Amino acid sequence: MFERFTKDAREVVVGAVGHCERAGERTVGAEHLLLALLDRDTGRASTALAALGLAQRKASVREALDEARRRAGLSRADTDALAGLGIDVSEIVSRVEEAHGVGAMSGSRTDRGRRPGRRSFDRGAKDVLEGALRSAVGRRDGHISDEHILLSLTIRPGVAGEVLADHGVTYETVQGVL
Amino acid sequence: MTDATDLAERAGDRDPRVGLRAVAALRRLLEQLEAVQVRSARNQGWSWQEIAAELGVSRQAVHKKHGRQ
Repeated sequence: MFERFTKDAREVVVGAVGHCERAGERTVGAEHLLLALLDRDTGRASTALAALGLAQRKASVREALDEARRRAGLSRADTDALAGLGIDVSEIVSRVEEAHGVGAMSGSRTDRGRRPGRRSFDRGAKDVLEGALRSAVGRRDGHISDEHILLSLTIRPGVAGEVLADHGVTYETVQGVL
Repeated sequence: MTDATDLAERAGDRDPRVGLRAVAALRRLLEQLEAVQVRSARNQGWSWQEIAAELGVSRQAVHKKHGRQ
């Protein structure tokens, strides 16, 4: 699949691995792909995000992603489903943080030092990349580019898609500006 | 996301989607909690054997999952 990626798309993937490594996390997730997209100021995805007013709101997106990571990486749909069982995720997180420090539930392993070696992509990130391929095929584009990664992020359930939607970035709005 | 809110409201409707999502989310929460507690125990000098006994799993299982500390 990667041979069909454009230079921009490859840079996003490499950037996502970098975010994962710096955070001391084991696997590259969909959120790392979104962080890598945000870092860029060239490419079609970046242009689309700027057209949707995101260039000035990058800090807000990063903050929302951080906040979700503190909640064990659970999306709002996840926490709502747990609330249906009577489980209050924010209560659990705040108690764990009281005892073990802020960010204890974020799954980052910086306290163990950087883990060497290659990062693998988790289920969510693989879904996003496969979705990017489908999106490229659907739009009859010959290559998988950074905007296909962005489009795929908007439709996959999970934290990244929710945060994007909260900032007005959906499949429809992105398509509208591409 | 109104979709999520709808899902939560239908939690009592025995909608399998909500139930399954809750199970998946709970598993993720559990994994994080386990990692926090195991790390804390190791920092306090607990052996893998002691941690495994409390978790009700084998020493090998807990070491394989949380080792490299």
